[in-house]
Amino acid sequence: MNHPAHLQGHLPATHPLSPRHRYAQFPWAARMMSDYAASDLWETDTRRLPAALARIRRRARHFAEQHLRPLAAEADLAPHLPPGECSPSLQRLLAEAGRDGWLSYFLPAPLGSMPWRALRHAPVWQSSLVIEEFSRVCGGLSLLLSAHHLGVMPLLLSGNPRTVLKYVAPIYRRCRAGDPHLVAFAITEPGAGSDVEDGHGAESYRPGVVSTPVDGGYLLNGRKIFISGGDLAQSVTVFAALQGEGMASWTCFYVDCNAPGFKLVRTELKMGMRASGAAELEFSNVFVPHDRIIGGLRNGWAINRATLNTSRIPVSAMALGMARAATEAAVEFAQQYQLGGRPLIDAQDVQLLLADMVAETRSLRSLIWQEARHAWRPRQLHAALCKFHATDRAQRVCEMAMDLMADHGGLHEQRVEKIFRDIRLTRIFEGTNQINRLSLVEDWQTQLLDPDTHSMRPGVSV
Amino acid sequence: MGLLSLSADPEGYGLWEQPAEKAGMLLSLRMLGQFGAVNAGVAFAWHRIALAAYVARQLRLPLNADAPLAATLVPTGHLGLARTSLARWLTGQPPSDEDSALLADWLNRREHDTVLYAPAAWESVLLPVWDQHTIAWRRVNRSDWQVTNCARAHGFDELAAFRLREPPASAAPIVSVPGDPRALFTRVLKMDMLGLMAIGGGALARAQTMATDYAAVRRQGGKLIAAHAAVQQLLTDIESARLRVDQALGSFGLALDEVDLGAVAASRIDVHKHLCHAANQAVQVHGGIGYMRDLGVEKILRDQNMLRLQAGGIHDARQFVAGWKGASA
Ligand SMILES: Cc1cc2nc3c(=O)[nH]c(=O)nc-3n(C[C@H](O)[C@H](O)[C@H](O)COP(=O)(O)OP(=O)(O)OC[C@H]3O[C@@H](n4cnc5c(N)ncnc54)[C@H](O)[C@@H]3O)c2cc1C
Ligand SMILES: Cc1cc2nc3c(=O)[nH]c(=O)nc-3n(C[C@H](O)[C@H](O)[C@H](O)COP(=O)(O)OP(=O)(O)OC[C@H]3O[C@@H](n4cnc5c(N)ncnc54)[C@H](O)[C@@H]3O)c2cc1C
Repeated sequence: MNHPAHLQGHLPATHPLSPRHRYAQFPWAARMMSDYAASDLWETDTRRLPAALARIRRRARHFAEQHLRPLAAEADLAPHLPPGECSPSLQRLLAEAGRDGWLSYFLPAPLGSMPWRALRHAPVWQSSLVIEEFSRVCGGLSLLLSAHHLGVMPLLLSGNPRTVLKYVAPIYRRCRAGDPHLVAFAITEPGAGSDVEDGHGAESYRPGVVSTPVDGGYLLNGRKIFISGGDLAQSVTVFAALQGEGMASWTCFYVDCNAPGFKLVRTELKMGMRASGAAELEFSNVFVPHDRIIGGLRNGWAINRATLNTSRIPVSAMALGMARAATEAAVEFAQQYQLGGRPLIDAQDVQLLLADMVAETRSLRSLIWQEARHAWRPRQLHAALCKFHATDRAQRVCEMAMDLMADHGGLHEQRVEKIFRDIRLTRIFEGTNQINRLSLVEDWQTQLLDPDTHSMRPGVSV
Repeated sequence: MGLLSLSADPEGYGLWEQPAEKAGMLLSLRMLGQFGAVNAGVAFAWHRIALAAYVARQLRLPLNADAPLAATLVPTGHLGLARTSLARWLTGQPPSDEDSALLADWLNRREHDTVLYAPAAWESVLLPVWDQHTIAWRRVNRSDWQVTNCARAHGFDELAAFRLREPPASAAPIVSVPGDPRALFTRVLKMDMLGLMAIGGGALARAQTMATDYAAVRRQGGKLIAAHAAVQQLLTDIESARLRVDQALGSFGLALDEVDLGAVAASRIDVHKHLCHAANQAVQVHGGIGYMRDLGVEKILRDQNMLRLQAGGIHDARQFVAGWKGASA
């Protein structure tokens, strides 16, 4: 292909006023401060990562291109299947993802698939890298593959090696063997969405899923709704109150979906994220033995909140992946679409728009990496901030892409309309963005109320 | 009198039949608002069908008596609004060679696909074309051009999406405009843009009712969600958007020729951003259930996005307005 020497409005790289190629002629000391190779942006970022993470990023991109890309449009357009059914192609994808280690990367070998050298870095960072690559190719498929990690997280956060060996190890083993055992995370109830994400709301909520003690364990009764992957899961981490007590008694029960009394009621017909099921689950006297209580009685609320702190940064990365996909789709459109005998990208207004999109996308990545890098013990304030900011801004980026394409942007084949429908969820789930703003403040209270004890200077620092 | 004109009778008083009169304009805009409140996709289809009938009357083309509802219209070229060139031409500024070339290309349907959102059974479409340094029109029968069915679109679920391409030897005759082609095209763009805003305004009113009603019954955080500042903000955003749309449409509720197209285009940019934002806020008020198709509020959001993308979209509208004000490329 014949590449033009320059875009309209810009000088060719060989022009005397185009500085980059002159830097190489600077004296050594000046060269050290100016000369650079303008490499691909994705490569630039990948090279900036620690080697083990860079490898994960490359592998994730490769996997997404190979296995997610061919299914993305199909999974979005497919008719809504009866609850619990999964198309053969998605089944194959899950098996392949399991074999390739994408369903077991929160622990290193021999239990999981995390590379040992990656162990030096916060797992939240790794999962953010993976999810960005997956959701760039398809939001719905990335949710299909990542809701499972959310389901497993309470088991890891039990902090109990016996729980990990007894439950997580076999889950991971089956995933690695290509016969995935998927887990879902169930906190939302018909009467409580925000109230299970926010302590102030939980305080006055009368729990809908309740556990009653019986010989050898508990009986669960009630309903959970909108549970991602609840339709394909073999087990679910279910949060329920103890009979006669409030939300402070919340306890995490590891429920086997084959247990009598467990019912998959329906899956929702959603705006987007159509590759992932959002399931309503009903519990009628579902027996859960004592050894499937995770993290101890009445510790469920804290485990729930800690789980959300680990997942909200990866959800930001999900939005980032989609913002990136929208930006890339817009760039491709601008390069290929001809108006007046020139590609759109030659127009200054289009260049300005693309510049904004790249800047938005990359500033989200900077924010997410900055927080994820330090998320060994993910702080609620940081996680919530990333979540609401990245998801709100990512949708804005997607709107810019649609605006560029005008009526072409409404066509499914241009991809951005689907990205919009997928992105829209990220502002609602894992706590609405309103609730995430309040989560930031809740966590910040300590400094706001008593700044001088917590800071070297008088006043609150941001 | 009928909602949609089904005859060539110039005395009719249906949608877009008497835009030259203030009362006819108001009637059309209010009708579209009402339709939009029920279903923006259907409203859009009727709006374009009525515009097709309007243009046909101006061109003195016979209406398709057998299937008048199967005739639709695309008022623009293949993408956007031809930067500043169209506006310059419409306002009578002397076109540069570049303007002429751009307009010719913008309306070139042989080398570019034209996107059409219309009822699945449409039979003909009226399109502007560039002919001898001016805009003329063509009525294309579905069987005469290459028509590609596209996969499901973002919104307008009641309609289908198509790509149209003129074949090398096109049968559709070019119809030149009796009278001033600039004036006709200006009117069509005004009616189209105003109609899109009116439909969006109606859909917004519906979303507002849904959001307000839901906020009055849903309890979270120990009270009705309507009592949380967070939700009050969302509802207020919806209210401000509604006021903006009402004000905009109110200011354009004049006889068509008294309305300035540049002002309509400028206002459209802002109005559609607000309409979309408000629809987003209406979804947000509903939380998770707002994301589900059963409820219908997510459809309003998708339809608002679709309205924003029509008539050249709102990105190129900025260049159009600049051109209207005299700027060149
Ligand atoms: C596709 C999808 C997948 C999901 N996956 C899962 C999953 O895997 N597991 C799971 O457990 N849940 C899941 N959810 C549930 C999701 O987390 C909730 O929908 C979300 O937290 C919002 O709760 P809600 O739907 O009850 O909305 P509500 O809480 O009813 O919110 C309605 C409105 O009120 C506002 N509001 C509510 N309370 C307050 C308050 N105290 N202060 C200020 N404003 C308030 C909200 O911001 C919102 O605007 C999923 C949801 C969807 C849509
Ligand atoms: C407080 C202050 C301190 C400053 N300090 C310094 C200093 O220390 N040293 C120094 O050398 N300079 C300094 N400047 C100058 C400053 O860098 C310039 O003002 C700035 O680059 C803009 O140039 P201009 O004022 O000539 O505006 P113009 O270049 O005339 O721009 C006018 C408008 O046209 C737009 N525009 C111009 N060209 C194009 C184009 N090709 N394409 C699209 N749009 C275009 C611009 O974006 C702008 O909106 C200072 C300016 C200020 C206000």
